[in-house]
Amino acid sequence: MQLRDYILRRLMVLPVLIIGVSIVVFTLTRIGGSPVGIYLSHEMTPDEVAEIEARFNLDKPVWVQYLYWVRGIAMGDFGWSGVAAAPVADVFPLKLAATMELAIASGLVALFLGIALGTYAGARRNRLPDHVTRIVAVSGASLPQFWFGILLLIIFWAHIGIAPIGRSDAAIFASIAHPTGLYTIDAILAGSPTALWDAIWHLVLPSVTLGYGATAIVARMMRSALVEELQQDYVDAARAKGLAERIVLKRHARRNALVPTVTVIGLTFGFLLQGTITVEIIYRWPGLGRWMADSVLRGDQATLMTYVLFTSVLFLVVNLIVDLVYANLDRRVTLGK
Amino acid sequence: MLDERHCAAPVASVRDLKVYFQSKRGIVHAVDGVSFDIRDGETLGLVGETGCGKSVTGRSFLRLLPVPPCILAGGSVTFHTHVVCKACAGVGCEACDGTGRQAGRDRSVDLLGISSEDMRRIRGDRIAMIFQDPGKALNPTLPIGAQIAEVFLQHRTEELIALAGLPPDTVGAIRRFASQSPRFGDGWLLSLPGPRRAQRLRVEESLAKMVADALAETQVPNPGKLMARYPHELSGGMRQRVMIAQALACNPDLLIADEPTTALDVTVEARILELIRNLQQRRKTSVLYISHDLSLVRRISDRVAVMYAGRIVEIGTTAEVFANPRHPYTRGLMAAVPGADTPRGKLAAIRGTVPELVDPPTACRFAGRCPHETGTCRSNDPVLEAITPSQSVACFIDHPAQSGERPTYERVTK
Repeated sequence: MQLRDYILRRLMVLPVLIIGVSIVVFTLTRIGGSPVGIYLSHEMTPDEVAEIEARFNLDKPVWVQYLYWVRGIAMGDFGWSGVAAAPVADVFPLKLAATMELAIASGLVALFLGIALGTYAGARRNRLPDHVTRIVAVSGASLPQFWFGILLLIIFWAHIGIAPIGRSDAAIFASIAHPTGLYTIDAILAGSPTALWDAIWHLVLPSVTLGYGATAIVARMMRSALVEELQQDYVDAARAKGLAERIVLKRHARRNALVPTVTVIGLTFGFLLQGTITVEIIYRWPGLGRWMADSVLRGDQATLMTYVLFTSVLFLVVNLIVDLVYANLDRRVTLGK
Repeated sequence: MLDERHCAAPVASVRDLKVYFQSKRGIVHAVDGVSFDIRDGETLGLVGETGCGKSVTGRSFLRLLPVPPCILAGGSVTFHTHVVCKACAGVGCEACDGTGRQAGRDRSVDLLGISSEDMRRIRGDRIAMIFQDPGKALNPTLPIGAQIAEVFLQHRTEELIALAGLPPDTVGAIRRFASQSPRFGDGWLLSLPGPRRAQRLRVEESLAKMVADALAETQVPNPGKLMARYPHELSGGMRQRVMIAQALACNPDLLIADEPTTALDVTVEARILELIRNLQQRRKTSVLYISHDLSLVRRISDRVAVMYAGRIVEIGTTAEVFANPRHPYTRGLMAAVPGADTPRGKLAAIRGTVPELVDPPTACRFAGRCPHETGTCRSNDPVLEAITPSQSVACFIDHPAQSGERPTYERVTK
């Protein structure tokens, strides 16, 4: 079938896109100046500075530096992170796991809650549930994350004192092995209810903060797509067949309304990744986002470039998945022209 | 066309039906006091221009009207369900006096008054509908077979279970599967290897057979293969055949055909009409054929009702109405139809446009456009009255008002 060809073709284009992205990332980062600052200290003499520049090839022309960078990546060397005081390649997977755990938790909440809320509201257009959902959704999409996060923190951590901060209780975290890096999964694998509870309890506030906006966007999209679908002739035709309203809604209208919503869900993923930066800072979550914020402030270019490159690739892959889901939902979509 | 014996009993009676719509400018009287019968086995053509209320009338049989903005303001739509004669299965025999119906077993319901669950049971089973644009009336994301199968799952669960060789007292996930009312977890239950899975496969097989049979009725080539196709892969004519197969799947008593050939080209139209007529005659289905095409309605209908601005202005047998149209609107419509012997040049047209139906005044709806109108027409509202046993008209030309001037065809006022 063309499906396999399509995936192969898309995967073949991927390296070209990645090279393009890498050039853009490198150029944009370098506009900020030489990255040497992160490796220096105040006591260094000009000779020592020159020596460090030579060690990191910073004395060569910029395009040569780019090639060195690309060669390093090809060999698995993403450079030295001044912020983490370790090779980027060593720290990245650990931080990534922490961020992914957060993003997946909020993403799943956004996906299911958003679709459920949108369907509920769309099927009851201009009635009370629709208005309530609208208020919840609009505030979710417009409340700034940093504000909403801090608000939750003040209420549940500072005042009531039931919510924890950070990713885990250090002692419990250390008590189990971490083969996947995802705390919840590791806790299940280790068969430790204490660790699982610890992981989930720490996840709640950050993922609510992060997922609220995405839920709102998905719910609004789903609602308007469903309202549109419910006005189509095939919905009346389904009713004329004697189908119960529940089946008309779930099997006919909702399935069609999911088609445009899936596109938005793909885009929402980028929104989530961006949101992790704020949320991780607020909740002291040891993930990529917080590391990035520090790297920006301290000019840790090796980390920054890796992060941007990684998120670009991730975005491309997510969009490929979205296209595949899209074609599966709507057979009129022909993949690849 | 139609055997006289059938004409006695109506399959549906519409009485003083009023369907209004709320709009920003006021209440639109889309259908305003419409009464007519659809007789058993006949084709009633409902003609009128866009916006005259013919589609709303058709849809009110299935209550397929959005409430709100729609208001069912009054009247009734009585539907008489028939019990098919057991001796001949509806073909017509000695025992049932050739009607194909079992006498004394009929049941009447007011379609506007019954519960939505009762309405749902009638939809697609006793009363079915074909829509104008088959490209829009089929769900683009479901295969054809799955869409037709839904009709059987809703209305033919028992037959399905019997055909699959399961006992009639089958309960649980399998019955829920065969009646399209799954519960959470049924999907898993029926997919796991075991007796349930085998039963589900048998039900699916029987269902596929029923769907293929329904499709074969509409003379589509290779129905088995067609079932797996999606609507966008088919031509317009094929899609309409699928719609017809779906509508007639449960052998309904009444078929509402809302301009089923408007979206098709002329050659396909002829074949679709032929198909509808064949199936109708074989199954003794009554048809309400909604159209704006006079010549088409003349070809296929036993009787014709002409609608204008939410009212029926004239109704009668096709022969009578076309031979002797009484209402000035009907006459205007017929004059506007070009024929082979019409000289080249301008076609006749009815001057003016349809009045707005927001709070209509007490007057003939056609006043203002009628070439014969008088003062009477502007202050009195004519009602539909019989002029012969089989033709009725709503005009003061045939039923002069108590007071005032009477319009005549001879006097043209405009």
